[in-house]
Amino acid sequence: MSRRYRVWEDALAFLELADLTMRYGAMTVVDRVDLNVEKGNLVCLLGPSGCGKTTTLRLIAGFITPKGGEIHVGGRTISSAGWSEPPERRGMSMIFQSYALWPHMTVRENIGYGLSLRKMQSAEIVRLVDKILDVTRLKPLAERYPGELSGGQQQRVSLARALVVEPEILLLDEPLSNLDANLREEMRFEIRRLHDAYRYTTVYVTHDQAEAMTTADLIVVMNQGRIEQAGSPEEIYERPQSEFVARFLGGTNILKGRWLDADTVECGPLKLRCGTGDFSAGGDGVVSVRHHDIVLDAKPQGDGPNRAQGTVLRQVYLGSHRDYLIELPGGAQIRTVAEPHLAIDRGQPVWLHFPQEHCRALAR
Amino acid sequence: MTAITGIVSGVPIRRVAIDWSRPIFVLLTVVLSVLVVLPLGWLGYYAVTDQSGSLSLANFRALVSDATLRRPFIVAITMALSVGLLSCAIATPLAWIVARTDMPARTLVRGLVMASFVTPPFLGAIAWEILAAPNSGIINAVYRWLFDLDPYEYLVDIYTLSGLVFAIACYTFPYVFTLVTNALERVPTELEEASAILGGGLWTTLRKVTVPLVLPAMLAGSLIAVLQALTMFGSPAILALPANFHVITTKIWSLFQYPPKPGLAAAAALPLLLVTILLLWTQRRILGRRGYTTVGGKSGSARITVLGRWKWLALGFTFLVLSLTVLMPYAALVKTALTRTVAEPLTFESFTLHHIWFVFFEFSATQLALRNTFLLGFLTATIGTAIALVVAYLVTRGSSRGAPLLGYLATAPVAIPGIVLGVGLFLSYSSPILPLYGTLWILLIAFLTIEMPAGYQQLSSAFKSVHVELEEAGRILGATRMTTLRTITAPLLRSNVVAAWCFVFIGTIRELSATILLTTADTKLVSVIIYDLNESGDLGAISVLGIMLLMVSFAVVFLANRLPLLGGVRVAPVRG
Repeated sequence: MSRRYRVWEDALAFLELADLTMRYGAMTVVDRVDLNVEKGNLVCLLGPSGCGKTTTLRLIAGFITPKGGEIHVGGRTISSAGWSEPPERRGMSMIFQSYALWPHMTVRENIGYGLSLRKMQSAEIVRLVDKILDVTRLKPLAERYPGELSGGQQQRVSLARALVVEPEILLLDEPLSNLDANLREEMRFEIRRLHDAYRYTTVYVTHDQAEAMTTADLIVVMNQGRIEQAGSPEEIYERPQSEFVARFLGGTNILKGRWLDADTVECGPLKLRCGTGDFSAGGDGVVSVRHHDIVLDAKPQGDGPNRAQGTVLRQVYLGSHRDYLIELPGGAQIRTVAEPHLAIDRGQPVWLHFPQEHCRALAR
Repeated sequence: MTAITGIVSGVPIRRVAIDWSRPIFVLLTVVLSVLVVLPLGWLGYYAVTDQSGSLSLANFRALVSDATLRRPFIVAITMALSVGLLSCAIATPLAWIVARTDMPARTLVRGLVMASFVTPPFLGAIAWEILAAPNSGIINAVYRWLFDLDPYEYLVDIYTLSGLVFAIACYTFPYVFTLVTNALERVPTELEEASAILGGGLWTTLRKVTVPLVLPAMLAGSLIAVLQALTMFGSPAILALPANFHVITTKIWSLFQYPPKPGLAAAAALPLLLVTILLLWTQRRILGRRGYTTVGGKSGSARITVLGRWKWLALGFTFLVLSLTVLMPYAALVKTALTRTVAEPLTFESFTLHHIWFVFFEFSATQLALRNTFLLGFLTATIGTAIALVVAYLVTRGSSRGAPLLGYLATAPVAIPGIVLGVGLFLSYSSPILPLYGTLWILLIAFLTIEMPAGYQQLSSAFKSVHVELEEAGRILGATRMTTLRTITAPLLRSNVVAAWCFVFIGTIRELSATILLTTADTKLVSVIIYDLNESGDLGAISVLGIMLLMVSFAVVFLANRLPLLGGVRVAPVRG
């Protein structure tokens, strides 16, 4: 059966995806997705390429018609199996991966396009376009053509064009993937700033976890057309429910073994007592421990569970820290970080401590 | 679902809107089927029946047993393969010089090669008749005058198989040139630099890296040259018939002369159709694996070889090629147009405007032919571009499942040689049910069919170059499908549409292969008049008409490139 994620139990969902399904031939691209988005929130669909996040966005936009399930906005059905309201009647706007700026129109014409379709007075259009040009710092470029702008400037025009029509819902499809690293980081904060200013209900598709962490109120991790987990950035990072989510957000060690008792998983010579997670399973167990949560020492620090001795396979100095790869006696390899001044050569023994509160038992 | 969320599903409001895509789709399928399938169907029917209409293989038996029918096939294939080889031999070095060396005037060379592209091959053949006929040819006259020889001595004779091969290759080598130049420019610089850094010298790199990478383009271009030669009617009719030999196309045409043998002509057309399809299929396969010529994406500008002293050799070769293909033929046409007889040199005494006066004011057939030609050119270009535009839209943006079928139908005529289509159309429309033979309609149908693939391919690649997100951006901001087409797609495609229109127009006004079977006294076209005048040996009038045809073609190309009203999309150059 479909899983349902209710993050804000009390809030009335503004955008609701119910049992949404999309298939191309025999391939199911979006598989019975349920999602509620509160008005004014920014939700991030996060996942690797091919996970169905862009298809989900295009379903919301109305560019494609779902094979099953429904989409509601404010209680009104805009898509159902085999039927969808055309995109132009949805009151949404979208920022495309390619920016999709019309090369035959100036910046001003690009931005004013949506307004002129709304049968506005031209003086009013000029006023609104000027206002958004100010907000996005594009005023000096208003008469340029898109071909004359840099990537970052094109990105801002695309944002301005989408915001000026005051959409009910704003959709963003990997908007930063064509920018270089510095600009990308700057634009992340810019998008968050504009969202805080306008509070449009926003669906943001990305494969970049840092982008999702910076911008989102709610992160929805997708995998193979399904929702793996949905929650606030803290929740997703600190309390992943599956191996996939734990790996996808931030570096982690996944240790596999068997449940010994109520809270301990035995992974070869190492017994891990878990502090958080899902304790309901018996038999095979999976434990996730983040790289930076493991304590590394050059001397023995006592016996007991959550402790192990290993050998340094590789260590790299990275300025702010040292990155270690440790081999445990059973052959398992553990990645961890240590203070930059703690330099232990390859082949030397080290002692590891896996604090119980950072050992998270995963259901899957 | 609603029970859990507490949201009552809104009842979808389905506005009643007429979906035009379905009827348009059906209409286009019917139109294209009539254009493509009908003539081929009649062709097949006539090939396998006898006069009484009963099933018979007599036509094919005649084809195999009759030497006068068998021989043209062998001659044509020999000729076509020679043309392919010669085109490749001329075009490949020229392409390398233009794309990869620092020889001066490279842009000019490109322009002149394009000029030979625009020249109708039959006009080139006539120009070479003027230059290299054994008796009256200018080259032979000069040769005799230089060495003070007898009137029957000659240096070159264009009325031979090798002369024919040469005259055709002059106008097919641009196919190889264009493809190879393109490929050479797209070979990533890194691939050659990798060879150089490992110790490969200029020759080694050229031999081991560059040539293998452009080999598919060379092959594909040569195959197109072979195909053109095989299906061409004009040049063989002008050069081979006086030499008393036939190729397939001229043989098919002769089967329509009195007494007509349409069944035999249909049977003879089928192998030609099969060979064409086979050649095109091979060419597609070769180019389909092109992937590796562009591997490694980010190529800067191509590696330029500094020629140094070799520059003179390159210039000499280039000048020779361009003299033979463009400069000398054009000069011969201009001279012939302005002198009383072919043999006279152009001097102050021999200068005359008589031919121009004759063509435009005395010769009664010209007025009609001009009107017919430009009317048909205009109609074919307009209707053809419109159909191609809608088909390209439906196929590239189509949600309809049958859309690819339309694409195949629109592309299929590329495999139908003009003369084969001519036979098919003659058989289809000379019946009492649809008596279109003898009208301009049958020519319009022929030209629409012939030009459909070119128009369609241009426009569908244009649609593909307009990113679908540009249209989606319009939709999501509130524009309907029609508004998006009008305000976004149409302005972006305008220059492509104008280009396609010009392309079809130029292709139409020079068509001869299908026309020659479908034209009658009332529906003469300029190309046919030129052919007729050649029969009567009136080379001066031909030159005037030919130059006019060329000037119109160049003017159309020029206007299409210049007029902002027509094609000028104001796309500013992208800054780095």
